[in-house]
Amino acid sequence: MSRTSRFLIAGVAALMAVAASAVADPVTIRYTLWDSNQLPAYQKVADTFMARNPGIHIEISQLGWGDYWNDLQTSMVAGTAVDVFTDHLAKYPEFAAKAQLLDIAPMVKKDGVPTNIYLTGLADLWTRDGKRFGLPKDWDTIAVVYNKDMTAKAGITDAEMNSLTWNPKDGGTFETVLRKLSLDKNGNTGASPAFDPANAVRWGIAMDYSNFGAYGQQYWSSFAASTGWKFTDGMYAKAYHYDDPRFIQTMQYFADLSRKKGLMTPYEALSAQNVGSTVLFTSQKIGLTLDGSWMIGFYGGTTDFKVGFARLPIGPVGRRSMFNGLADSIYVKTPHPQEAWQWVKFLGSAEAQNIVGSYGVVFPAIESGVQAALKTYKERGLDVSAYTAQALEKNGTFLFPITDHASEINSIMQESFDSIFLGKASAADALRAANQKVDALFR
Amino acid sequence: MKRPRGTRVLFWAAVAVIAVVTLFPFYWAVRTALTVPRAVYAHPTSFLPPALTMTNFERVLGLIDAVTAVKLGGSGQSINFFIFLRNSVIVSTLVTVGQTFFSAAAAYAFARMRFPFRRQIFGVYLSSLMVPGIVVLIPNFILVRTVGWLNTYQGIVAPTFLFSPFAVFFLRQFFLGMNRELEEAALVEGAGRIRIFLQIAVPLSMTALTTLAVITFIYTWNDYLWPLLIGKSESVRMLTVALGVFRQQGAQNMPDWAGLMAGTTLAIIPTLALFLALGKRVIASIGFTGFR
Amino acid sequence: MRTAPGAVRFPGSASTAGREAGLGLLFILPSLAGFIVFFVVPAVRGLLISFTDWNLLTAPRAVGLANYAALLNDPDFWNALKVTALYVLWNIPVQTVLAVIVALVMNAAARSSLLKGMVLLPWLMPNVVVALLWVWLLDPTIGLINVAVKALGGPLLPFLSSPGMALPTIAGINIWRYLGYTALLVFAGLQTIPPEVYEAARIDGAGDRQTFWRITLPLLRPVLAFVVVTSVLGSFQIFDTVAVTTKGGPIATTKVFNYMIYQQAFERFQMGYATAVSMVLFLILVGVGLLQMKLLRAGEAET
Repeated sequence: MSRTSRFLIAGVAALMAVAASAVADPVTIRYTLWDSNQLPAYQKVADTFMARNPGIHIEISQLGWGDYWNDLQTSMVAGTAVDVFTDHLAKYPEFAAKAQLLDIAPMVKKDGVPTNIYLTGLADLWTRDGKRFGLPKDWDTIAVVYNKDMTAKAGITDAEMNSLTWNPKDGGTFETVLRKLSLDKNGNTGASPAFDPANAVRWGIAMDYSNFGAYGQQYWSSFAASTGWKFTDGMYAKAYHYDDPRFIQTMQYFADLSRKKGLMTPYEALSAQNVGSTVLFTSQKIGLTLDGSWMIGFYGGTTDFKVGFARLPIGPVGRRSMFNGLADSIYVKTPHPQEAWQWVKFLGSAEAQNIVGSYGVVFPAIESGVQAALKTYKERGLDVSAYTAQALEKNGTFLFPITDHASEINSIMQESFDSIFLGKASAADALRAANQKVDALFR
Repeated sequence: MKRPRGTRVLFWAAVAVIAVVTLFPFYWAVRTALTVPRAVYAHPTSFLPPALTMTNFERVLGLIDAVTAVKLGGSGQSINFFIFLRNSVIVSTLVTVGQTFFSAAAAYAFARMRFPFRRQIFGVYLSSLMVPGIVVLIPNFILVRTVGWLNTYQGIVAPTFLFSPFAVFFLRQFFLGMNRELEEAALVEGAGRIRIFLQIAVPLSMTALTTLAVITFIYTWNDYLWPLLIGKSESVRMLTVALGVFRQQGAQNMPDWAGLMAGTTLAIIPTLALFLALGKRVIASIGFTGFR
Repeated sequence: MRTAPGAVRFPGSASTAGREAGLGLLFILPSLAGFIVFFVVPAVRGLLISFTDWNLLTAPRAVGLANYAALLNDPDFWNALKVTALYVLWNIPVQTVLAVIVALVMNAAARSSLLKGMVLLPWLMPNVVVALLWVWLLDPTIGLINVAVKALGGPLLPFLSSPGMALPTIAGINIWRYLGYTALLVFAGLQTIPPEVYEAARIDGAGDRQTFWRITLPLLRPVLAFVVVTSVLGSFQIFDTVAVTTKGGPIATTKVFNYMIYQQAFERFQMGYATAVSMVLFLILVGVGLLQMKLLRAGEAET
């Protein structure tokens, strides 16, 4: 082959490469989330992103919580997981330990992405040993959700609802309210001495026992933490405190509330997997429930009665809410790490989070996004300050307990809570035994 | 045969009980599917749909957009019904055709032909009836992943396409019981085994083959775990898997029952149609299944 | 799942043995390929995996018999064994008795293919759908059955949410699904009893009840043995209904073998341990299978 022809071929090849890149299909970045309510918001974010980055196409998919993780894990096994996915604090340590997440710390550093724009503590949750596995996207707190028609009829004011007290000994004014809202089949309220706890037809509160798992996020975690109790001694701790007397007292209090006092829906009256406290609340079989800020939109739009959001009860050490947050992580085997990073960077930006906030489905991780969300809620006539006030209160929040072995801990604790709330074991016995099992996982 | 009155009353009472217990859940599914989602919890016991509507079917089929569906009190999710129906039909048909044909060939060989290790091979085939599905599930999953067949039809179909111990056993028993005169006559005339199998044995055993085909089709159609693991992506997701996914779409712990029942009702229709078309044969064949 | 009733006969023609041997192998070749690739190889592979610690995502580590040793000390394993055995005990006797009754009704109904078609309907539905339907009907607060019982002044029936009732309820749901199929098998068995036998009994002055206990039931024995053992093999492998209704709860009272294996393998990604448990299940099923062969042979000897 002559030098000229070789030259010519190289030239043609280069030309072809240029031509190809000009007409090339955009790189597709697959993105997935589990909350169908947030789909429209993220579609809008993706549209904005794509308009600015014509070379990248964002393809969003959505699956319900259970299928979501099953699917993600199985496709990681297959090496075909989506490029970018919504990640949860209970899950990411396992993924990180199995080297499934891309460490984005170098990219954050290279592009000079500020991590101090996020609400306090959120950004740090996604780091381990100097590596970073996600940029925060939103946060959530817990508040009391109550049936305003019902409380009004029981003579309870909104101001009272917002200043409830609670302790694991007598339940404080919180229990007084539950009494007023409960009803037995003879029409006696729980406040009446004639109240028949075994034949309650309406309860003050309900909790989804079969969804407790290890963290009881929107169920018992606020109460337990308001006694001063902590899950663990910090991120990646090697031991849990489920055997702490304060925790045992708290759980025994609620076990008695349901099984002895008849003020909380008993385990048996909640279908194991398919009908939870949310259904009982919307069908007016309970007066109040505790729930996360991600459910505001649901309560605000689905019920036939007026719904109020109230501050958490004040426990022995004050009000405490789990402060949980989600982030977007990149799959380590993505064929397009650069494009995936561009997308994650955008999702973590104020611009994207302002868009998400304006849909009023979650509270974004950046202050301006929160303001956008508040504005939308206000337009809908919803006062959600109970959630934001909790987030802003000094010492008002505690972080999700990130440790290894989350899925094993979940199933150990679930069985333990099952037996407590079915009255098969005392909280002290069940929790001490369970905590030993949990701690053994770390040895 | 004339029976005393007491026995007749007992008989009809039994028929009535069987009918109610069998059919009532079906009725309830349809009733709930025809109910406005918000009325589902408000009137859990009204016998007729408390607020009649077709919207559940419409939104499950994606004929109503998500925003409207949520306003109606549903989950805002739809099932890509026709895509999943197509997937179910493709997968079930492939498995049925492949498994029936290849099992028939093997069964015929075991019943009529002499070859080395015939007895031993058949014995080993039979023993695989005792292998619990879950034992081979994980290795098969890994195998399918290794060859890159996750989320493909061939991945879902592969393990049952060529072989099923039950099918081989079932058909072998049938071939053994079949009159062999025709085949022997053909042999004498010099016809080859392949021709005899295709032109004599197969046509003669059409009943058994159809029976097996219908049973295989229904089993494949109803399979859950394997297609759930292999066929998650929407392009190959089967109807049963889609229903399971749909169930999880409601807010938190609250499934969209009306939509779910509409989906359930729709998912029953194809097998019901198949059953109505071939029902008598299936009924006749189940007796045959056990006792040939 | 079904298996061989009785001895195996191998008729065959003696002509052109060599060519036929080749052809015979050709006939079974596709099925043999499927058998080896998707049964034998995975079973052996499963056995090998069971000697390792493997999360599917990082390299497996050989651990010898550690998984099997761990299994013996794992209360979850013994619980699964107990729960599965209990499930079989709930499922099989009730289903068999009901199947005989329904089959007798069918037999009395002369030509009622409508009845037969009707009882077979639940079998046509996917397990998942059946489970969902019953979850809906049995719900403690809004399910029809509980609301009706409550209206009549009865107690709350926590079908799927109490440790005592969950497993029998799951058994009941599966009985509902498979009753028609099983009853048809028994019905076919009834049809094989020659009418003369009944005739002779009537001449001897036997009543309906006596006829049933002394004639029908003994003659049904081989059929019943077949039905029972095949259903047992099937019910040892129950999964779908548990996955939809209880996910193994409450307090693991419905965590059957297959569900435990599924959790270990696909939720915790402990493949080595999961395959070790499945190998044990395989051994149990072989035991049950051998028992089945024995029973079937015993049954045949009597006919």
